[in-house]
Amino acid sequence: MIIDEEKEALDSKTSQTVLELKSAIAFQGKGATQKKVEILRVLRRLLSQSEVPPIEAALQAGAVPLLVQCLSFGSSDEQLLEAAWCLTNIAAGEPEHTKSLLPSLPMLIAHLGEKSSTPVAEQCAWAVGNVAGEGEELRNILLAQGALFPLARLMMSNKGSTSRTSSWALSNLIKGPDPKAANELIRVDGLLDAIVWHLKKADDELATEVAWVIVYLSALSEKATSLLVKSDVVRLLVGRLVASESLQMLIPVLRSLGNLVASDSYMIDVVLIVGHTITDELLSGLIKCLKSEHRVLKKEASWVLSNIAAGSLEHKRLIYSSEATPLLINFLSSAPFDIRKEAAFTLGNLCVAPPKNNEQPGIIVVHLVSLIDSGCLPGFLNLIRSADIESARLGLQFLELVMRGLPNGEGPKLVEREDGIEAMERFQFHENEEMRNMANTLVDKYFGEDYGLE
Amino acid sequence: MEMESGSMETREEGSKLGLGFPYWIPSRRRFKPDDLFFAAGNTERELLAKHVALDLTEDERYQLQKMEVAGANTVFCPIAGCGARLDYLEDFEDHYRTRHTASCSVCFRVYPTSRLLSIHVSEAHDSFFQAKVARGYPMYECLVESCGVKLKSYKSRQQHLVDKHKFPTTFEFYKKARPSKHRREKNQRKQALYKSEETKEKYMDVDEKTQKKMHQIYKPKQPKEAKETEMEVEEKIDDLVSAVSKLSTSDSSPSSVSFGHRHARGFAFVPRSIRQSRKQVSQPEAQG
Repeated sequence: MIIDEEKEALDSKTSQTVLELKSAIAFQGKGATQKKVEILRVLRRLLSQSEVPPIEAALQAGAVPLLVQCLSFGSSDEQLLEAAWCLTNIAAGEPEHTKSLLPSLPMLIAHLGEKSSTPVAEQCAWAVGNVAGEGEELRNILLAQGALFPLARLMMSNKGSTSRTSSWALSNLIKGPDPKAANELIRVDGLLDAIVWHLKKADDELATEVAWVIVYLSALSEKATSLLVKSDVVRLLVGRLVASESLQMLIPVLRSLGNLVASDSYMIDVVLIVGHTITDELLSGLIKCLKSEHRVLKKEASWVLSNIAAGSLEHKRLIYSSEATPLLINFLSSAPFDIRKEAAFTLGNLCVAPPKNNEQPGIIVVHLVSLIDSGCLPGFLNLIRSADIESARLGLQFLELVMRGLPNGEGPKLVEREDGIEAMERFQFHENEEMRNMANTLVDKYFGEDYGLE
Repeated sequence: MEMESGSMETREEGSKLGLGFPYWIPSRRRFKPDDLFFAAGNTERELLAKHVALDLTEDERYQLQKMEVAGANTVFCPIAGCGARLDYLEDFEDHYRTRHTASCSVCFRVYPTSRLLSIHVSEAHDSFFQAKVARGYPMYECLVESCGVKLKSYKSRQQHLVDKHKFPTTFEFYKKARPSKHRREKNQRKQALYKSEETKEKYMDVDEKTQKKMHQIYKPKQPKEAKETEMEVEEKIDDLVSAVSKLSTSDSSPSSVSFGHRHARGFAFVPRSIRQSRKQVSQPEAQG
């Protein structure tokens, strides 16, 4: 815990160092270069303080323009490294601190080039990554200044730390929401091969960063998605999903697969054929995530399953007869709200046949009956009662399936037994007209005057 | 297989089928990378990928967990006229139970506010009300509290709601459809007691029947009712008295009704040090 006096001392030491740097830069005489490096090193150490780095003090003393000068072409590697390091740590501060790096960006980007020594390029990539992570505006500036291509090239480096740092920086740079950068990245020659190579060979840390790049490529770029689904990437992602125990890795791997399945029908139609090994492996990887204790994995795996369950009849049968179903039924009754919602989407999708043209989609009665017998209905009724419109809508849609699809008119009786009528009647005064109409339509149709009178 | 973001297309598809109900249609759902859907996972990344100097304080960690666990959404109660703000989705059920389940002790209908309940009781169970209506006073209040308009008939009130407040034409404050399960059971018990003529009226709305009988006892020079009818009327008056005594006058009533859309999203709270962890600080040890 740093106390005020210490902070003051730190700040004043920092200001002083910056002033010394200014003199050293101006100084033309013997040993000038060495002097500069020594002072930069002192500054770098001050800025690497773990508690409260004296960024403010450095900025106020005018550090950035001086550091930019230290980045000038022809400077020694040592000098470049120390200067870039200082800038990296300044950029890691508050948003205003990050923004203060603006004047240095062109030079930082320049030193990403292939003529730079690897440690220098890596340090500049780190600084650029910090800036890119700050916000869309800064990302756009970096892109306009040409940061994308050199970072992509660095991603293909053999040196682990370099490719890891630049992958991380790239993931920050392309995260959008503008898809422009993602679209540019996939067009870089050799990029897809590099991704495949890393997914195959890399250690967990590097593979994780590469996976994040894939997350953004698959979420933002249709071009990238269509290339990815036809490549080895899918198989490798599934392999990582099954094999890894690291939450840090599983999140982007799972999400990449989720994005790919969601965005491109090729996945369900061509890649994930029921009966193929890859499909079985993916399913077991997803089930592993359902069983995990991590909320994010449970939720996003349920989401992926819901999209697969929106596929063919074979896909529905596959999921229905797997371990996933009882896990999802359990989620529906006891998991946190957002997981319940995803489970609901999946279970409902299992009960409805693939839509044909303009017909009312058919109900897969066997699945529906079995899910109801397993006690699904209360979970859906709870969704109807929630404040989230989308969930309420989903619940009402499921209720319609139950009342239409359960044989022997059992549906309405069951719904009444579970207080479903009360749940629907809540919508009489709901502010949303569609909700009112949906609920009223169901009540009128299934619980009209003739109901309950034998 | 359509692709969609959210469920917009499903809705259109469903009503395109022209059957008045948006049926469940399985379709893939896709989210943008900055969608709230992914927020929890993004936060995990930032928590885990911490090469930063600054560590999360206990307080910030707790806040994050609380935010994730509770579904981190500010919601506004969707019941017309309420608009109460709830900080967590999970709280909505409690809110609904305490604020929106006022029930009529006569006919067991449930209303979402005490004002609506009292309007219902007046209109459905109060003979004084009916007497004034018969004399031409405008007694039917507009359901929108801030409006204040009173109409002379149920129908004209309906029309006013549709015209002035954009209620759907299918809206019925007083649904004649199906009596509640409780009501049906009560009916069946009564039928066992009374004459067979009563059973002919089984299909009538129970409360209309009540009103008619109530009306009759206030007409002057009316011949004395049959014994059964009198019993029933007394029962009704007792019920009404107890109902009136149970009406609460306090409780927050909605001060305004709006039928527009409410924004139901808050912004995820990201503590300062989480934001910082998106950037990585070079540590002396990390460098060779």
